[in-house]
Amino acid sequence: MICLLALIVFGVLGIFSATHRIIAKEALDCVFRRVTLRKCTTGLDKRLKSQITGKLMRSHPKTAKTVYKNFEIISWFFTLVLIWSLIQSGISGYNYAIYGNCNGKTNGEEFCVFDPAGKGKFSTLASNYSGPVVFPDIDDDPSIGPKDAPVKIIEFGCFRCPYTKKAEETMKQVLDYYGEDILFVYRDFALSENHPHADVHAEAVNCALDQEKYWEFKNYMFETQTTMESHTVEGMKKLGEEFGLDTQKFNKCIDDRDYKEEVENDLIAGIKAGVYGTPTFFINNKTIVGPRDFKTFKKIIDEELEEWD
Amino acid sequence: MGLNINKIREDFDILKKKINNKPITYLDSACVSLKPRQVVEKINSYYNEFTACGGRSMHRFGNRVTDEVEKSRGVIKKFINSKKENEIIFTRNSTEGLNIVTKSLELKKGDKIIQTDKEHNSSLLPCLVLKENGVLHEIVKSNDDNTFNLENFENKMDKSVKLVSVVHTSNLDGVTNPVKEIIKIAHDHNALVLLDSAQSVPHKDIDVKNLDVDFMAFSGHKMLGSSGTGILYGKEHLLNGFKPFLIGGETVTDSTYNSYTLEKIPHRFEAGLQNYAGIMGLGEAAKYLMRIGKSNIEKHETNLNKRITEKLIDDVKIIGPEDSSLRGGVFNFNIEKTDPHELALMLDESENVMIRSGAHCVHSWYNAHNLDGSARATLYFYNTEEEVDRFVEAVKKVSKLLL
Repeated sequence: MICLLALIVFGVLGIFSATHRIIAKEALDCVFRRVTLRKCTTGLDKRLKSQITGKLMRSHPKTAKTVYKNFEIISWFFTLVLIWSLIQSGISGYNYAIYGNCNGKTNGEEFCVFDPAGKGKFSTLASNYSGPVVFPDIDDDPSIGPKDAPVKIIEFGCFRCPYTKKAEETMKQVLDYYGEDILFVYRDFALSENHPHADVHAEAVNCALDQEKYWEFKNYMFETQTTMESHTVEGMKKLGEEFGLDTQKFNKCIDDRDYKEEVENDLIAGIKAGVYGTPTFFINNKTIVGPRDFKTFKKIIDEELEEWD
Repeated sequence: MGLNINKIREDFDILKKKINNKPITYLDSACVSLKPRQVVEKINSYYNEFTACGGRSMHRFGNRVTDEVEKSRGVIKKFINSKKENEIIFTRNSTEGLNIVTKSLELKKGDKIIQTDKEHNSSLLPCLVLKENGVLHEIVKSNDDNTFNLENFENKMDKSVKLVSVVHTSNLDGVTNPVKEIIKIAHDHNALVLLDSAQSVPHKDIDVKNLDVDFMAFSGHKMLGSSGTGILYGKEHLLNGFKPFLIGGETVTDSTYNSYTLEKIPHRFEAGLQNYAGIMGLGEAAKYLMRIGKSNIEKHETNLNKRITEKLIDDVKIIGPEDSSLRGGVFNFNIEKTDPHELALMLDESENVMIRSGAHCVHSWYNAHNLDGSARATLYFYNTEEEVDRFVEAVKKVSKLLL
């Protein structure tokens, strides 16, 4: 069994080193012989077994004896662990290719080795929706840019999600760079399960729309996201006052929950569109999940513009 | 006079080496010996001071090389006490020497070769090849303790025997065959004798005149010289009758588009550019061994082997006679139910004790005895009692783990 383990380990190392490639070839020969019920003649199994136990003997003779006596079992254990790891790596690779995150759509905030900078991280929503996917429209949500722009970007974001906040800078870059070529729509995807009062935040920002301060207050909300002392209704009201909104009008809008339905509709629209985390961007018919860099957006937008031309 | 081992070991830089903060114990000298500083310096001098072609170029470097090579030949002549320097042919190793003789004798169908049952592949295989041409090949079975059976040998001898090609000291078990008697019996039957002396020349006083041997091959790398060096000794009148099978540069005095004139011996057998540095190193190695004295070397190795044998006799199965005095510097053994390769690898990995494992190029003997191989520790004059004790302790420690 040690030969199979060696084949996998040295096979991977062999990609980078000729010395390991020779051992991998030996291991392959050994595995082939064992599979065809013949004796391994390369001596690789003995060599590895003796070298490992010999090294252990220097400092831990008793452990060395145990390892030597149970070498086949230990080899099996490590081989299975290795195979399991490889399968997990394969799944992670698949997730990364499909969702932009190794952990799939259910653990968007976990570390991903393929994405150490965390550009693919997102806040997750555990959805039970199993109906047909309905591509989202711009609805009556606030937008920037001409309605007939060749590229429509619909963002589903959450004001309490750190990754949506992270994406703000990139979106600003995108809008500055492409100008009239883009119609940008922000739709709420309030992840109240993960972030308490996320729905209150979304409703509060919509209330600013009544005072034609939506985009400014949205920016202010993200700017103060990490420093906000409280994320409660009272906290929102205090924030509106600090920002300079008409507090009477603003507080009433919050208390009456004027935009409750609007925020809920956005969430449902997002779920139906297959959104599983924030931020999610629909760029015409293509999707980006997580706070990706400008280059990622640019690549897709340029392709869309080229197609439109 | 005994050996001053500590002083001798000063000449071997490699022995000061430590691995994982532990000293090394090199017990594989039957395969390749370590090299003293004097030999290494001599080899380096060719590359650092007078790199050139020998026997061709007339400039001072070329002349120096020619001179040094012939000096080495002179040293080797003295080393084995041959009659003349032209009886000394530089080769790459024992294998080449053994092949030269076996092939050059031009044996015919019906001619017979006699060998022992412990021949190294380098001695056995050139003879087996001749069987394809109808040459007969017979093996002299050893005694049960692996010593040579002179009676069996005599019984094999008849008029058809043209060559007795035997190992002098066996690399399998260290047993030295009674070659003086073997040569006498062979000559009485008008057969020639070729000795594989790879394991005897580095350890024993050899006098080819006294032995009256016809041919003798040995390697430089087992006697402190560099790898890629060896010697074939042959009696002058016999070598003169040989047609060299490898010819080219330096083997002829003249050539036309249709013919060539061979050089005199030994040069007709030394085709192409030679390993000058190695040859010079080999001369230096022979001088070094002569300074120490082969009888001192043999005595020292026998004492060390006795020490190992006494301490391990109950734990291992020795290949060859139990009497250590018959096994020179070779301690070849197996431990029941353990794999010799695993044993050797673990000795090295855990205790820095380096021995050899396997069939030691004597596959024929192992096959005949239904053995896969064995572990072999081989001694030389630079080994110490402390080292052999370390080896003994390590074998005991590792065998406990393996059993």
